[in-house]
Amino acid sequence: MTLEASVPALRADRLGKQYGHVWGLRDCSFEVPAGSVVGLVGPNGAGKTTLLALTVGLLAPTEGQVAVFGEPSRAQTEGTLARVSYLAQDHPLYRNFTVGDMLRFGRSMNPRWDHALALGRMEALGIPLARKIKALSGGQQAQVALTLALAKRTPLLALDEPVASLDPVARLEFMQDVMAEVADKGLTVIIASHVIAELERLCDWLLVLTGGRLQLSGPLDGLLAGHAVLTVPRQTQDADLPGAVLSRTDSDRHSTVLVAADQAHVAAAWQPGWLSEPAGFEQLVLAYLRRPPVAAPAGRSMVGEGTAR
Amino acid sequence: MIWVTWRQHRTQAVVCLALFCAVAIAAVALGAWMRSTFSSDGLGACLARSGGADCTSVIDAFTQKFNGPVIPLGVILFALPGFLGAAVGAPLLGSELERGTWQLAWSQTVPRTRWLVTQLALVVGGLVVFGAAVTAVVTWARGPLDEVSMRAQTPLNFEGLYLTCSLLCAFALGVLAGLLLRNTIGGMVVAYIAWEAPSLVATLLSGPLHILTVTKTIACTNGCARASASSIPPVTGNLGDQVLSLTRTGNHLIVTYEPASRFWTLQLIDAGLFLAVAAAALGTAIWLLHRRTT
Repeated sequence: MTLEASVPALRADRLGKQYGHVWGLRDCSFEVPAGSVVGLVGPNGAGKTTLLALTVGLLAPTEGQVAVFGEPSRAQTEGTLARVSYLAQDHPLYRNFTVGDMLRFGRSMNPRWDHALALGRMEALGIPLARKIKALSGGQQAQVALTLALAKRTPLLALDEPVASLDPVARLEFMQDVMAEVADKGLTVIIASHVIAELERLCDWLLVLTGGRLQLSGPLDGLLAGHAVLTVPRQTQDADLPGAVLSRTDSDRHSTVLVAADQAHVAAAWQPGWLSEPAGFEQLVLAYLRRPPVAAPAGRSMVGEGTAR
Repeated sequence: MIWVTWRQHRTQAVVCLALFCAVAIAAVALGAWMRSTFSSDGLGACLARSGGADCTSVIDAFTQKFNGPVIPLGVILFALPGFLGAAVGAPLLGSELERGTWQLAWSQTVPRTRWLVTQLALVVGGLVVFGAAVTAVVTWARGPLDEVSMRAQTPLNFEGLYLTCSLLCAFALGVLAGLLLRNTIGGMVVAYIAWEAPSLVATLLSGPLHILTVTKTIACTNGCARASASSIPPVTGNLGDQVLSLTRTGNHLIVTYEPASRFWTLQLIDAGLFLAVAAAALGTAIWLLHRRTT
C-alpha cells in the first residue's frame, strides 16, 4: 500500500499533442497524487479534452508522455484502456439501446466489469432497465454513462464536462453521486470543467490550462496558501511587491493585487499601510485564466510544486 | 464484443432476413411455375430424348415465356448489393463518428483495431450467408431456364459468386466512406456511387465485352444454309454456348462463341475484381482507424 501511495496517480512529462500545425497541448508536466479529486480548468479549446484523451488512450502524444499509476498511457492498448474510465463530453450513449443493453455493452467490453454495481446504481436511481436511452432525461443519461465508467472498475476516472448539459438540480445530484463513489472506492478523479464554482466545493487539486499550456498545478490548499491578495498604496511598484503579480486593480489611492507569494514572502516584503487577505479560489483561477498562454512556463515553475507541500 | 456487434446490427439482420424471405417467395413461385411448364410443355422430355437438337420450337416457346417474368427479379437484384452493402457498411464507423459514441466504444477495454476487426468479421460473415442464401434460391428458381439458355451470361442473373462479392464490395466501400465522411447518410451515398464503378466493369466483363470467346471451324453435316448465330440449339451443339458471329466458307462454318464452360472463369474474374476493391477499402479503413489517434 505504501508503495502504491507513493506512485502518482497521474504524471505528465513534457506532454504535447500537435494537430496539423497547431499544438493542442504543449510542454505539459505535472504530478497528481493518488486519491485526489482534480479540477481541470480552462476556457474552450485550452486543451482539456486533449489532455484527458491522451490520458485514457484515445490519442497518442506527439511528444512526452503521461503515466497513470506509473504506467505510461499508450493509445489504444488494452493495458491503458483497462486503467482509466472515461466519461466523454455530452455523455455519448447508443440511443437505440435500452438501459439494460447499455450495461450489457459494458459487461461484454470490459473484463473487470462489476455488473452488480451497475444494476444496483440503476435501481437506486430508479432508472428502468427496459427503457430506451433516448427516452431518458439528460440527467438520467449522464447517470447511465457515469455508471458505465464506474462499473468498469478502474482506479482513475476521467470526466469531461460531466455536468455541462444538465440542469442545476441534476448537476448537484450527479456530482454528489460522483463524490460518494470516489470516497467509497478511493478513486482518483479528474474533472474537466469551465464551471469554476462547481469545482471549488469538490476539488483538492487544481490544474489550469490556457491555450494548450499548463498555467498552474498543485493542491488546492497549497495554492491558496501560496497566494495572497494585498491592498497597497497606488504608487507601490510591482518590483516592491513579494512574488509575481498576477493581477492588479488600481483605484484612486489604493491598488488591489494578487501575488504568487506565501505568508513568509509577504511578511518579508511587508511595508506599513499594506493590507493582506487570503486568496479566493475563483479569484485565483480567474487570474491564471486571464494570463496570456506564452507566460506559462515561468508561471508554472514559480508556483508549481514549491509551494505545494 | 460478439454480443455488442449483434446488438448494433440486429435491425439490419432483421431487414436482411425480410429481404431474403421476399426474394425467396418470389423465386420459389417462379421456379415452381417454370418446373411445371418444363414438364407439361414436353421440354424436359425433348431434351432428354435429343439433347436439344430437335427442340427448337419448344425451347423458343419456353424462353419466350419466362424471359419476361425473371426480369423483375433481376432488376431487384441488380441494385440490391449496392444499396444493402452501403446501408450496412456506412453506419458501422460513420454513425459512431457522427454521434460521438466512438468515445464510448473505443474507451472500453477493447482496442479499437480489435473492435473494428471483430465487427467487420461478423458482419461480413452475415452478409456472406445472406448473399449465398439469395443466390441459392435464385439459382434454383432459374434452373430450367439455365438448361436452355446461354450460361456464360448468367453472372448478370446473379448466380454463382456475383451477388455475394458485389454485396461485400459495396459494404467495404460503405465502411470506408463512413469513416472518411464521419457521416452515415453521406457515406451511404458516396459508397453507392463508388460501387457503381467496379459493378459496371464486372457487368461489362461478364456481358457485352465477351472477353473469353473462342473461334473454331465446324464442318457442316446437314447443310450450312440454315445455320445462323441465333439458331437453337446453337451451331456449336451445346445449349449453353453463346454464338456471337458466324461465317460460312464452303461447307464449313467459322464460329466465334462464348462457351458455357467459361461461366466459372467469368465468375472468378468478377469476384476477384469485387473482392480486390473490398479488401483495399477495408484495409484502408483499418489502417486509418489504427493511425487515427491524432
